[in-house]
Amino acid sequence: MASVLEASCRECVLRSGRLFCDLPAEALEAFDGIKTVALFPRASALFREGNVANGVFVICQGRIKLSLSSESGKRLTLKIAEPGEVLGLSAALSGTPYEATAEALEDATVACVKRRDLVRFLRDHREAYLRVVHLLSGDLHTAYSRVCSVGLGRRRRLPAPRIH
Amino acid sequence: MLLPYGLDIVESCLTCKMRAEHIFCDLPASALQAFENIKYATAYPKGAVLFVEGQAPRGIFVLCKGRVKLSICATDGKTLIVKIAEPGEVLGLSASVSGKPYELTAETIDPCQVNFVKREDFLRFLKDHSDACFKVAEQLSEKYNNACHEVRSLGLSHSAGEKLAKLLLEWSSKNGEATKQEPRLKLALTHEEIAQMIGTSRETVTRLFADFKKRQIVQAKGSTLVIRNKAALKIMATSS
Repeated sequence: MASVLEASCRECVLRSGRLFCDLPAEALEAFDGIKTVALFPRASALFREGNVANGVFVICQGRIKLSLSSESGKRLTLKIAEPGEVLGLSAALSGTPYEATAEALEDATVACVKRRDLVRFLRDHREAYLRVVHLLSGDLHTAYSRVCSVGLGRRRRLPAPRIH
Repeated sequence: MLLPYGLDIVESCLTCKMRAEHIFCDLPASALQAFENIKYATAYPKGAVLFVEGQAPRGIFVLCKGRVKLSICATDGKTLIVKIAEPGEVLGLSASVSGKPYELTAETIDPCQVNFVKREDFLRFLKDHSDACFKVAEQLSEKYNNACHEVRSLGLSHSAGEKLAKLLLEWSSKNGEATKQEPRLKLALTHEEIAQMIGTSRETVTRLFADFKKRQIVQAKGSTLVIRNKAALKIMATSS
């Protein structure tokens, strides 16, 4: 296991620059109280599509693949999540089943928070809530560009500047 | 009284009767008053463009009445309709929050009432009212689920017929028609627009409809479509 990881988020050196992790000290302490750090070996699943959303997962280290599947079992990769991202947010906040399957692409360290604890934590820490809204917006952006690349068969490019 | 575009404009959110049914609008009194102070009630005719994909975010648009088409455009001009937004939905939300360009184009398909809020005002409003944050998170989650659903149906379907069958089943499960043996649905979109929803051409949609009619799967009565054979549609939707 890499030595850079600490049991407490306050001592974590990876924290800066990560939108969700870089919380004010007091919120971070509260977050420490509700999270449990878990190790997921390569190819193990954090959650599966359609399961009841009972928590969110903050990636500390390692990359996680998010994929969708059809009834017949065909699979489509939605995105590869990097460290610092929070998975299962939308499902946990809206109380709907997980919309995708998350699998570790390499050995990953993940901080898990139960749904009930997260909702209470967000109620008490407005700063964290704003960040969650930011993260959800970012997720939505990537999902839309995936819609674009899948539906129109090409990556979205920025429109060329108009010449008059 | 002369009404703009035949719309009965609700000027104040405080006295709005539709508020209880709309997820975002159902805010506590103090937040609602603050929202009232920063919003502009506006009316648009059919076919008006609220914002265009790639534009810098000006703010959010709360849809009060009417429907809005949300689409993505490729560089070669092909269009994909991501969603038809219904009243109560907030448009341009994720772009306004993150400051990134609008990711979709929003165009009205009915005369619409839209409440506009400037981006700076909206961000300040979010900071001051955590209840509103909660509503925004809820809206974003729902949009995310919808986008995932869209990726799944576009990316994992084999044929256009399969996608059209799925779309018809989805529409027929709304409006309380789900339990009926022969659900009827009002086709509010043109074949061109349906094609853009499932990522195919107008010609293919017309051909598929003709085929469905010939096989007695659906029957058209004016602009109303009656699904005669729901089981056949279901088989088509899962035939991959």
